[in-house]
Amino acid sequence: MTQITKRNPNKFLKDEFDELVRNHLEWNIRILESGSKPHSIVNGKEVIMLCSNNYLNLSNHPRLIQGAIDAAKKYGAGSGSVRGIAGTLKIHTEVEKRLAKFKRTESSLIYQTGFAVNSGLIPQLVGEGDVVISDELNHGSIIDGVRLTKADRAIFKHRDVSDLERVLKDADKKYRRILIISDGVFSMDGDIAPMDKIVKLANEFGAMTYVDDAHGEGVIGEDGRGIGAHFHIEGKIDVEMGTFSKAFGVVGGLIAGSQDLVNFAYNKSRTWLLSGSHPPAVSGAQLAAIDVLETEPEHVRRLWDNTKYFKKELNSYGFNTGGSETPITPVIVGDAGKAKELSNKLYDEGVFALPIVFPMVARDKARIRTMMNAGLTKKDLDFALDKFEKLGKQLSII
Amino acid sequence: MSVKIGFIVNPIAGMGGRVGLKGTDDVVDKAVKLGAHPIARLKAEEMLHEFSAISVNHHDVVWVTCDDDMGKNELEAIGIKNIQIVYAPKGSRTSANDTKNACKKFLESPPDLLVFCGGDGTARDIFTIIDKKIPLLGIPAGVKMHSGVFGITTNATAKMLQEFINKQLTVGDAEIMDLDEELYRKGEWKVRLYGIAKGIIEPTYIQVGKTCFESVSDDEVKDELAEHVNDELEKHKDWMFLFCSGGTIDSIAKKLNIEHTLLGIDAIYQKTLLAKDVNEEQILQLLKKYPKTKILLSPIGAQGFILGRGNLQLSPEVINKIGIENIIVVATPSKLIHTPILRVDTGDKRLDHRFTNQGYLMVVIGYRLSRVVKLQTNSF
Repeated sequence: MTQITKRNPNKFLKDEFDELVRNHLEWNIRILESGSKPHSIVNGKEVIMLCSNNYLNLSNHPRLIQGAIDAAKKYGAGSGSVRGIAGTLKIHTEVEKRLAKFKRTESSLIYQTGFAVNSGLIPQLVGEGDVVISDELNHGSIIDGVRLTKADRAIFKHRDVSDLERVLKDADKKYRRILIISDGVFSMDGDIAPMDKIVKLANEFGAMTYVDDAHGEGVIGEDGRGIGAHFHIEGKIDVEMGTFSKAFGVVGGLIAGSQDLVNFAYNKSRTWLLSGSHPPAVSGAQLAAIDVLETEPEHVRRLWDNTKYFKKELNSYGFNTGGSETPITPVIVGDAGKAKELSNKLYDEGVFALPIVFPMVARDKARIRTMMNAGLTKKDLDFALDKFEKLGKQLSII
Repeated sequence: MSVKIGFIVNPIAGMGGRVGLKGTDDVVDKAVKLGAHPIARLKAEEMLHEFSAISVNHHDVVWVTCDDDMGKNELEAIGIKNIQIVYAPKGSRTSANDTKNACKKFLESPPDLLVFCGGDGTARDIFTIIDKKIPLLGIPAGVKMHSGVFGITTNATAKMLQEFINKQLTVGDAEIMDLDEELYRKGEWKVRLYGIAKGIIEPTYIQVGKTCFESVSDDEVKDELAEHVNDELEKHKDWMFLFCSGGTIDSIAKKLNIEHTLLGIDAIYQKTLLAKDVNEEQILQLLKKYPKTKILLSPIGAQGFILGRGNLQLSPEVINKIGIENIIVVATPSKLIHTPILRVDTGDKRLDHRFTNQGYLMVVIGYRLSRVVKLQTNSF
């Protein structure tokens, strides 16, 4: 055995993990034995799924599964390389063409994940002498992307266009390029960025706009075309970024915009250039997901019917569901301990929804974050609502 | 685990205010003659009452305090039992000396936090003895509360106390401000920075993963601010920088290995000290030689003043010569939580208006990171 004389290089691994456990901050990974379904088996128990991002239940759609099988049979299990060298299969380019058409933009580009878009593209869009102006509640992957730039950073108040204008006025005098970045749908509160107003303001100042529409893609806008369609400003947002991993039911990041943007992006994003490309099965399922969205509008409609019913009923019991405008419905409890207790008890009763506590949200705004699924029936929703009502009363929340 | 909280009330704090005396330092007799009633006791009890109501674990608290109205009576009035008395005031009327002597007793076996009830004068007296050895939390009950150790209201103080006990708040720098009471009673404001105490602050969290956050110490935030200022100094090699007073700027200067006066303004050129603790006249002289100058300052005290309370050397003439566009304001995010509005009161209405017309100010809160903060011109 090697004797460690100078320092123990691995000691911190255990120390830091133990520290997380002591503070109850470690991730308890739950195992799904069933696939992500409206009724899932989580840690051995059947529960109603209210915390997946599989909004449209497309991950279980027969056409997507068939699309994956067919592509794997035709192209094999792996792609063999990174996109830039020998890993661009015809099916990858087919997805990009179909996606641009669906998003009503000139062009589009598929990345390995949404995170790979934000951490690979943002640092290329701005540099020394530029500024990134960011909504204060933007997602962590944007924050990481911004950290990799040499640009200055300024924050504007959440969804506050006047505050953004004040920052722009100041930035206008000082910087070469200005990039405004916002989430489209904010994942903690389910509210929507006022992209129509942001784009208008950006045009006045000659600023570039970048929206992370991970939770809006497949959910908002006509037939789930995303935030551009939601505000009828398709093609006017400079970078529409999204993901295939949520409502689309597969995996993979995406951007939609001009051909100039796409040419720039794939030549400059190191995450795109240096990661292996998607296995053909992934692309096959992506293509099928776009097909389904274009031909079966009932999934988006059912998602919204479920969302409206669930929100209305929760509100009628007296729950505070905040300012959500989307299928992300927070049930604001206030106290962190109570939110955790409610989540545990819901699980015991057969409803799976996780608590979100400080510092992810304000100290007095701890909540259960529910995310609707188009595959849930009215009977399922009534079952879940019944449990919310019963436990809400038991814990004196309502 | 039990927590030890020191508790001291200045029974005569706030008495001058009601009778228009602007402070009770040295004029207690006059205040009493004018019909002043003690309000400190009421404020202290209000805070304790709220604290008992919101805190489930208040029974774990051991209160170390002083006899009679300097703490014991207020605690007992709320029904608090875990009391240890470490000091008894001499005579029927307490004075600043009683506060100071009690603090000496507290230091013999320091509590985790010293909660006091009074105004800026009380804070100053306590700080004289305690320095940075015990963190302070003030229940506002005086006439003047410019110091950063005070809660905004009695209820806010109770909430801070509860959160400190639950380890949700952490210890950081807080300014002790003082006003020249002699001048003030003649109608003149001269608020100055008296020293930097330890107070309790909201920790800053940074996002380190998708939904993971890490609490960063105030010191780490100041490292980032220092790095930012370092870039500014590198970028503007032929500019003079005026490093103003206060804990934040002092930390930045220390991290950059620049000698700095905590309570004064220093002139810096190419990262070395040009002139130490300069007054208005000296700044005006320096500006003749160095017309390109930037001011580096941070809000001081509880009310978010960047100009007009402390840093009085920055007269309207100085600011006009330098230009308001050359003022760099830095602040830690934890400071901005408590002072979401910044204020200026330069003494020159026209200059104040130039700030008001802007309405907002970009404040540097991290390395190359800034946000807009509302700016008011305000004479209290």
